[in-house]
Amino acid sequence: MTKLSKAVASRRRALAAALLSLVAWATFGCAHAASLEEIKKRGYIVVATEDDYRPFEFVKDGKPTGFDNEMVDALQKYAPFQIRHEILPFTGILAGVATGKYDIAITGATMTKDRLQSLDFASPIADATDYYVKRKNDDSIKSIKDLSGKPVGVQAGSAQLAHLSQLQAQIEKSGGKIGKIVQYTSYPEAYQDLALGRTDYVVNTIINLTTLVNQKPDVFALGQPVAAPSMAAWSVQKGNADLLTYINQFIAKQKANGTVAELQKKWFGQSFNLPVAFTPEY
Amino acid sequence: MSYSDVLSIFSGALTTLLLSVAGIALGLPIGLGMALLRWGRLPAVGPFIAVYVSLLRASPLVTLLLLLFYGLPDMGIEIGPIAAGVLALTMNTSAFYCEIWRSALLAFPREQLEAARAVGMRRGMCLRRIVLPQIARTSLPALVNEMSQLIKVTPVLAIVGVVDITRAAVRVGADTYDPLPPFCVALAIYVPIIFALVSVQRWVERRKARLETSE
Repeated sequence: MTKLSKAVASRRRALAAALLSLVAWATFGCAHAASLEEIKKRGYIVVATEDDYRPFEFVKDGKPTGFDNEMVDALQKYAPFQIRHEILPFTGILAGVATGKYDIAITGATMTKDRLQSLDFASPIADATDYYVKRKNDDSIKSIKDLSGKPVGVQAGSAQLAHLSQLQAQIEKSGGKIGKIVQYTSYPEAYQDLALGRTDYVVNTIINLTTLVNQKPDVFALGQPVAAPSMAAWSVQKGNADLLTYINQFIAKQKANGTVAELQKKWFGQSFNLPVAFTPEY
Repeated sequence: MSYSDVLSIFSGALTTLLLSVAGIALGLPIGLGMALLRWGRLPAVGPFIAVYVSLLRASPLVTLLLLLFYGLPDMGIEIGPIAAGVLALTMNTSAFYCEIWRSALLAFPREQLEAARAVGMRRGMCLRRIVLPQIARTSLPALVNEMSQLIKVTPVLAIVGVVDITRAAVRVGADTYDPLPPFCVALAIYVPIIFALVSVQRWVERRKARLETSE
């Protein structure tokens, strides 16, 4: 072996070793979120919320606001520990909770069967049944069967994307087929593309769409439900049972003293009776 | 879009500038140091740096950032969004700076080094007085190019919760359901930042040229 090829071979070996150690880290490294006991001992809980999910959580004039952020304020009054509040896009939140970076996601994440594999959900805070929204001046859509073949916008990695199979089944039953599915990093872009005509409808939960239509009544119009009823709830890492119980007690207390109903009315335009526990069908 | 919305996008600009300046200020000397170590043909360190640089040039910034942000706490190192952002930017950009500096070093005429040694110059002095001024000038366009790239990739740091110009604009759009005005403001902020960087490059180049003609 020449000197040069030896150097190349040793460099290849070093590169392979570096890559292998990365894979090993990914396989064997398993962080766990802080338990309730650890949270009380260290004196703070790490809460993650979104920044562009009106009316649940959004940022107005540089300050976080919306239903969930007011609930975070209530939690701060209730809990004996401090709240460390991290605000980030949805893409990073559930992954952060599943890896233990954040103790709890206080965001209106729709409960799904898939998410239950890595997360445990608290008591629901809102109805999250999927509806579709269309352009107000689009007269070609009047019912579910009119959606056949038309391009649809949803958020990437969202429960709504996973639920589209139900809509597909409904459309196929009436002899049509679902159109092109366009995925966006967040919903504001999906609404913008709908307004521009790049898609013909967007699927999201009833609450988000009601807020949208109330804000832009000249542009958008609400359609019918496209999937079975589902719920939005906060989530903790799978198996963090003590923290989940604590959070459920907090939610139960806020329901009993009327805070939840008041905030639901303020942010969602209506209050609803929600079950204490919910098992998603999909 | 209200006045305070515009203001929040401008405060995002501060974050973008802070991250970019930190990434450049740390990455530039680290890149130079790595290039000099490779150029010096040190037996153990050279190959190690070569592997490090190839790994980093091969990993997308977002992936590197997610790995640091979610991976380091796994090893007991707590890291916040801004720190993770600066670390990822620095690691990524220093690998590219290293290659830019190294290409200038490889093209450097050996005769000049031999001449310097012949008149009894020490290695350090030769580096400071002869090598660095010349490679800084030849590398400048490529370095500024990499800097402007760095400023423009800062929006990807938003994924871990950093609020830069683009994220601040997204937030305003999510509140008003009208994303075009905030994006126009965002673009109107990026353009002068890059323009200022290129102006500095031109100023340095002109100044060097003037110094050389007056010598």
